[in-house]
Amino acid sequence: MRRVYLDHSATTPPDPGVIEAMLPYLTEKFGNASSVHLWGQEARAAVDRARRQVARLISARANEIVLTSGGTEANSLAIRGVCEAAASHGQHIITSTIEHPSVRGAIDAFEKQGWEVTRLPVYDDGIVRTEDVRAALREDTVLVSVMLANNEIGTIQPIAEIGAVIRAARDVGHRHLSFHTDAVQAAGRIPIEVESLGVDLLSLSGHKIYAPKGAGALYLRRGVRLVPQQIGGHQERERRAGTESVANIVAFGAAAELAQNEKDARNEHTRGLRDRFESEVAARIDEITFNGDRERRLPHLSNISFRFIEGEGLLIHLDMQGVAVSTGSACSSGTLEPSPVILALGRAEELARGAIRFSFGKDNTEDDVNYVVEALVHAVTSLRHLSPLSRQTAAVT
Amino acid sequence: MSYSESFRDHIAHPRNAGELPDANAIAEETNPVCGDRLRLSLSIRDGRIETARFLAYGCPATLACGSGLAEMLEGMKVEDALHLTRKEIVSAVGGLPTRKQHAAALAIETLRAAIESKEIATVRAADDE
Repeated sequence: MRRVYLDHSATTPPDPGVIEAMLPYLTEKFGNASSVHLWGQEARAAVDRARRQVARLISARANEIVLTSGGTEANSLAIRGVCEAAASHGQHIITSTIEHPSVRGAIDAFEKQGWEVTRLPVYDDGIVRTEDVRAALREDTVLVSVMLANNEIGTIQPIAEIGAVIRAARDVGHRHLSFHTDAVQAAGRIPIEVESLGVDLLSLSGHKIYAPKGAGALYLRRGVRLVPQQIGGHQERERRAGTESVANIVAFGAAAELAQNEKDARNEHTRGLRDRFESEVAARIDEITFNGDRERRLPHLSNISFRFIEGEGLLIHLDMQGVAVSTGSACSSGTLEPSPVILALGRAEELARGAIRFSFGKDNTEDDVNYVVEALVHAVTSLRHLSPLSRQTAAVT
Repeated sequence: MSYSESFRDHIAHPRNAGELPDANAIAEETNPVCGDRLRLSLSIRDGRIETARFLAYGCPATLACGSGLAEMLEGMKVEDALHLTRKEIVSAVGGLPTRKQHAAALAIETLRAAIESKEIATVRAADDE
């Protein structure tokens, strides 16, 4: 059976060149980057090189990069680190309703401790409005955290505009306000320049850009105060203690460089596949809804709700035909958890349940698109044939 | 989460899917919490289920349980059908993860409601005579 991987927003297949770059650090170059001897120096040099490669991907300085175990740790370090450092100046956070669970979870934890949180709506296009950020700012706001691009629907948020609002607020005396963006989905897919975005903190993950799982980074603008969350070591200039995972960091660096070099080509390639996929799906399957703004979104991602059927059923049907996709909804122990992102768009619960994310990658082909469209038509037809909802509607119309 | 071969087969090739035009026992039940739906139509003659068809909307566990139930019901005495347990449905689909057990509960509930609908209809018919 043919297998087609269309879940690149979940994780990407490690690039062979990236694996090749990391292998020596799993074998002969096994040193601890903190050791003074030759083995240690070799590892230190590799970590520093990777740090520069990661910094270049987002046009930052190497000393502004804190290497972490991945995106979740970067988000956690950013939110908890900044809020703990600024707690005596204010306890108000502004965020959006469509953040990744790692951001949502960290912020929810502060709310439970008594902090106030303003969650900005994203309207039916899945995009935060800059004027809403401006209106939500208070004297006691210490953190604004809005993702650069959403992980389920791919919508790109107006981070540079929000960054300008934050800078203006700081210019009038709002000194303890920090701006964080989760760029895990956006990195390597759209250009990122931390200066023009106006962010103080930005999260990255290696395994979304063709490195193996295990390394990520937090961009921390020089001068931003942060309480380390992992202590007891001098690594990462005391901002993140723990022996560096050298091989994973080397892979992350190599992947960042590759992403930087291939960004435009990847962009064009995945956009072409995604757009053809969407037009074929729209031509072959009725009663569908595209989720999120169709212009201001990542080039590789498509999120579609299929009426009368439920996402997990469709996911399994596609899996049985060798096609990997994902759904943001989950039915567990008789409790349905429809995707909060799709619900935030104002969609009915039934549409939120039937939402599927297709995320393309650099190695997908035109043949993959052809195969997936056929598999999808088959799966949707079978499930709708079984669905009492589609039969009732058909009887009415 | 991994599903058994048997489970996946019920999803790929649902047994007895559809609706019986000449059904004399019909029920459609909804899980009020998650919104999953199961519709069962049965043709019952002389205390025995001759034919069974199902329709389902919801998570894969609900689809598989509908299929497993409809398949096992055909030829079964109504009396025996009333004694079917959740466990038997779960085993008919090759097992379910703990968090999906509610799908088998919905299947049993729909089955009992369908049989009850036939009994009510029979009582009404007797009253009319």
